Amino acid sequence: MNRVIKINREEWNKLLIQLSDSGERIYAPVRKNGSFDYEQVARDNADGIVYNEAKPSSPLKIFFLPLRLNVTSGGRQSGRTVVVGAPACDIEGLKLLDAMYIDEKYIDETYVSRRENTIIIGAACHKTSDSCHCTAYGLNPWPGEGCDISMSRAGEDILLESLSVKGEAFMTEISGITGTEEAASGDILLIEKLRAAAAKEVAKRNNGLPGTAETGKLTAAAAPEFWKKHSSKCVSCGACSAICPTCTCFLLIDRPGFEKIKQQDTCQYPAFERVAGGEDPLKELSVRFHNRYMCKYVWKPERFHVLACTGCGRCSDGCIAGIDKNRVIREMV
Amino acid sequence: MIKLTDVSNINGLYKILKATVDEVIDESPLIKTFVMTPEEPFRFNTGEFVELTLDGQGEAPFTPSSSPFVTEKLEVTIMKTGYITSKFHDLKPGSVLGIRGPFGRGYPVERFVGKEVLIVGGGCGLAPIRSLLFTLIEMKDQIKKVVLLYGSKTPTDCIYKPMFSKLNSISNFETYRSADNPDGTDWDESYGLVTKLLDSPRVDLSNAIAVVCGPPIMMKFATLKLVEIGFRDEDIFLSMEKNMSCGLGKCGHCMMGEFFVCKDGPVFTYDEIKHNPEIWK
Repeated sequence: MNRVIKINREEWNKLLIQLSDSGERIYAPVRKNGSFDYEQVARDNADGIVYNEAKPSSPLKIFFLPLRLNVTSGGRQSGRTVVVGAPACDIEGLKLLDAMYIDEKYIDETYVSRRENTIIIGAACHKTSDSCHCTAYGLNPWPGEGCDISMSRAGEDILLESLSVKGEAFMTEISGITGTEEAASGDILLIEKLRAAAAKEVAKRNNGLPGTAETGKLTAAAAPEFWKKHSSKCVSCGACSAICPTCTCFLLIDRPGFEKIKQQDTCQYPAFERVAGGEDPLKELSVRFHNRYMCKYVWKPERFHVLACTGCGRCSDGCIAGIDKNRVIREMV
Repeated sequence: MIKLTDVSNINGLYKILKATVDEVIDESPLIKTFVMTPEEPFRFNTGEFVELTLDGQGEAPFTPSSSPFVTEKLEVTIMKTGYITSKFHDLKPGSVLGIRGPFGRGYPVERFVGKEVLIVGGGCGLAPIRSLLFTLIEMKDQIKKVVLLYGSKTPTDCIYKPMFSKLNSISNFETYRSADNPDGTDWDESYGLVTKLLDSPRVDLSNAIAVVCGPPIMMKFATLKLVEIGFRDEDIFLSMEKNMSCGLGKCGHCMMGEFFVCKDGPVFTYDEIKHNPEIWK
């Protein structure tokens, strides 16, 4: 394990408020009405910050791919953002976003500026939810790479492990502001114990769920009738894509003055691929439904050599028709 | 990760170049060619496409139909077939529109050197092919032979009519046309589907490549026919036009399996994409 420092949770909360007061954008998951999601940290909500539970309602991508953005009038972000409490599944999802938005030919400045200016403090999931299945896809429920700091909680203490140069600099910075100490070996042991317990819990719940490569083979092979059956309740609302950490498709909207607005879109909406003249490869609901599974388990992994489903389970949580992705996959086996 | 500060040419992925319409040419009842002058010389390789923007109204992808050797003017041929193409058809000389691009991978004309080139076009699919033909005319001494087979619904729907006699006057170029149905106008060419013209391909199959561009159904049957008569899959070049929107391989609207047609295509060899049964949809 890299360098780990310890800070009392109250002091940590005060620090987040202090940074927020100084004009930085500090986000953390805050509990409200039985669920929790990212909010900008302020004096009146810091007590509600959720530490080391399962994923927040929104995926991490919202900090890098705003729902709506004018891409012709700059769209870059300046100033620092600190995101506290990102789960490992979402952090893994950034690999695909990076591959698409920082590709060799067309680098998206709006994305890069946000990636550059954001410190990601990942959080180990000490608690997991029913839909979590990261371990089935070879991931751990704690951040190992791809973020700047990995955060764990030990009683009333917050433990921060540095995972990048940026993270190390942030840890040094906060040590200069508030009281921190190097973590003791007992703290490290506790972190490891909590991690192992969470991993065991997720693995037990997903016993028998095939891995991504196997799911890809099954997805490609399943007959049209299979997709017709499972998509019959889908209402094409697109919630599964909106809250997916790796869904990135968007629509360009024209505004006077040759301005272009980039807005989140999804292949689950009718007419996503329709062309002038009326041809539409995704005209049928069941084909659109199948398309999303193919994209997640076959095409994007083949193209970018990264996971395109990181096992967060939000698509099943958020489906108003009650379609459980993993139940669909288990039926293919 | 790439540092923003390390990238000098990062601005303006969505920046447009303004262009003024000089002339509108009626090619057929539904197809017009727009001759425009871009604010700055516009360079593209044949087969690459552009996104044309109507200010505040929308944007659509088109492959230029003009010569890539002419950078002061750009010609785009548009069939009226939907909302935005109808808006384009309302444009008059003096109208201003926006160009983004060029995008994608065009025709690998270097692979055509020393070959006999069989081109099969249908309908408005002759637009990208005309740009290719302008390129092949420049390369005529390096190409063994060019055979153009073109099909339209009726004789009236045949576009670029004056072009055919010019092509036929070049010693190693031949053209053959077919109309699906007669419409009472004069027509010295054949009738029937364009694939019928492939019954006698008129090229030496041991040293030929094929190019296909047209409506999806025509592309499907022309490709299958080319395979049947002996073309190798890697020698058949297809222009796959999907719903290209951003042009940058990001928005996802033109995904065809693992490919982004806007970035990896629009020109693919049949060999590259034949594993995907959905390509003709």
